[in-house]
Amino acid sequence: MTRFFIDTWVQTVRHLLVIMRNPFIFLPNIMISLFFLFVYQGGLSSVANLPGFEGSYLAFILPVSIVSAAIGGSGGAGQSLVRDLENGYFSRLLLTPATRISIVLGPMIAGMIQLLVQTVLILIVALFLGLDSASGILGFVVVIALAAGFGLAFAGYSVGVSLRAKNAQASQAGTFIFFPLIFLSSTFVPLEFIEAEWLKWVATINPTTYIFEGMRAVLIEGWQWAPILQGLLAISIMCALTITFASMSARKALNRD
Amino acid sequence: MSAGTIEVYDLQKTFKGDVQALKGVSLSVGKGEFFAFLGPNGAGKSTTIQILTTLISPTSGRALVSGYDVLTQPEQVRLEIGVALQETGIDPALTGRELLEIQARHFGMSSVAAKKRAVELLEKINLTEDANRRCGNYSGGMRRRLDLALSLVHRPNILFLDEPTTGLDPVNRIAIWEEIRNLNQQLGTTIFLTTQYLEEADQLAERISIIDKGQIVISGTPKELKRRIGMDVIEMHFADEAAATRGAQLLAGLCKQHTQQREIVKCFVEDGTRRLPDFVRTLDAESLQIHSLNLAPPTLDDVFIQVTGKKEGTA
Repeated sequence: MTRFFIDTWVQTVRHLLVIMRNPFIFLPNIMISLFFLFVYQGGLSSVANLPGFEGSYLAFILPVSIVSAAIGGSGGAGQSLVRDLENGYFSRLLLTPATRISIVLGPMIAGMIQLLVQTVLILIVALFLGLDSASGILGFVVVIALAAGFGLAFAGYSVGVSLRAKNAQASQAGTFIFFPLIFLSSTFVPLEFIEAEWLKWVATINPTTYIFEGMRAVLIEGWQWAPILQGLLAISIMCALTITFASMSARKALNRD
Repeated sequence: MSAGTIEVYDLQKTFKGDVQALKGVSLSVGKGEFFAFLGPNGAGKSTTIQILTTLISPTSGRALVSGYDVLTQPEQVRLEIGVALQETGIDPALTGRELLEIQARHFGMSSVAAKKRAVELLEKINLTEDANRRCGNYSGGMRRRLDLALSLVHRPNILFLDEPTTGLDPVNRIAIWEEIRNLNQQLGTTIFLTTQYLEEADQLAERISIIDKGQIVISGTPKELKRRIGMDVIEMHFADEAAATRGAQLLAGLCKQHTQQREIVKCFVEDGTRRLPDFVRTLDAESLQIHSLNLAPPTLDDVFIQVTGKKEGTA
């Protein structure tokens, strides 16, 4: 067991070093998140004046910014693995007695750490922009937890795709799922404001919607348990699916046939 | 004790799509022996190494490395072996020192011991000055040396080297040769090396097996192999390629086997000294000019052509 922890720790630290040394891994992602925050907050904030809209538009758009950062951070896990596969380091690691699962877990944990740092950063920026959380600082913990859960689910997906595709282009293509995930949802306006029936339907089955709603509940309305629990449920289902997918792919990639 | 030995019995490997990479390879390497596995591209060299180093499993047959079964005891095998694959396994964003330390940690060393081992190895491969630079900026030769050091971190009993000098310039190639020879002679490390370069096998190995199309075609010491071919080689340089082609046609009947490369024709004959006049007569009758003609005992190169029907390095 100690072996497992040491191997995982060593790999996590390595992936963190790689992330820190390649700013292009995280900078574009942070830019996009801040873009959501600044541009939409500046450009669309009058939506908040519509009758029936509760709270500030900043608190409303903040979850979009955070979820987008979460996708970037955790999607990096798969990219890191592809990188290892492509430069031959993956084989080098397989030739050591390192616990197999550590080799896959390392980049996932590093991705989650990147996600947490980014989320905290965005929350700080939002506070400077005048964010007023209805549930106080403790509410932030829920927001971070939802972001982390969503990130974990996405990390599973990205690792699974990468271990199957084994090349950067295909795994990059796989991350484009973030488009429908983020945008076919209650991204810019509340769910009840969406008029197109098809979009409303897609947004209803899109798990991201429940993450948005959970975060918004905490930020805008305070301790509303129903949306928070729905968010956690959506995460649990997603994680169950993607982590299974990831471990199946890992088994296949580590299979010696 | 079986530490440092390799025993392979009737190893077969069929990849998806019915590609039969190995068709029953058996071999045995003793402790401290320097063994070379020679063959053209796609002959099955890398597949054999990948099976012996636990990266892939055989379709059938059995392989014991230091007495451990590669199929059922991969963890024990990994502790016994060092491996430098054809493509170096290096993370370009990390420094040489970091990579060595990570490697040592995965082989169970404490962080202090890992640091110490890294310093030792950096010194040994002459990389101390560049130890804190990212490997992405290393030259090809430096990468190879680092890759070799990575495979030696845990002082393995057996070292597998898959075409360790492919793509290197002569200076770096000789540096790697020196390093491998030292390991073998000073530490008694068993070496299993694959190569397409006959010169490499001839220079380094005590015993050679030539593999072609998934089967071992001949084995022995370099000397034995040269002797076993039992033929002399008559090498002729013609004025140009056309003349050489014509010459090769004329002489085909006199040779057991012949090869042509541009203006050079090589002919394998038994008892070359007595056959030489026939060659001169035949060419003279057609007034074909030759620049030079020489008779030599076979080189390993010739053995290779004889048994595989191929020129070294060609697929």
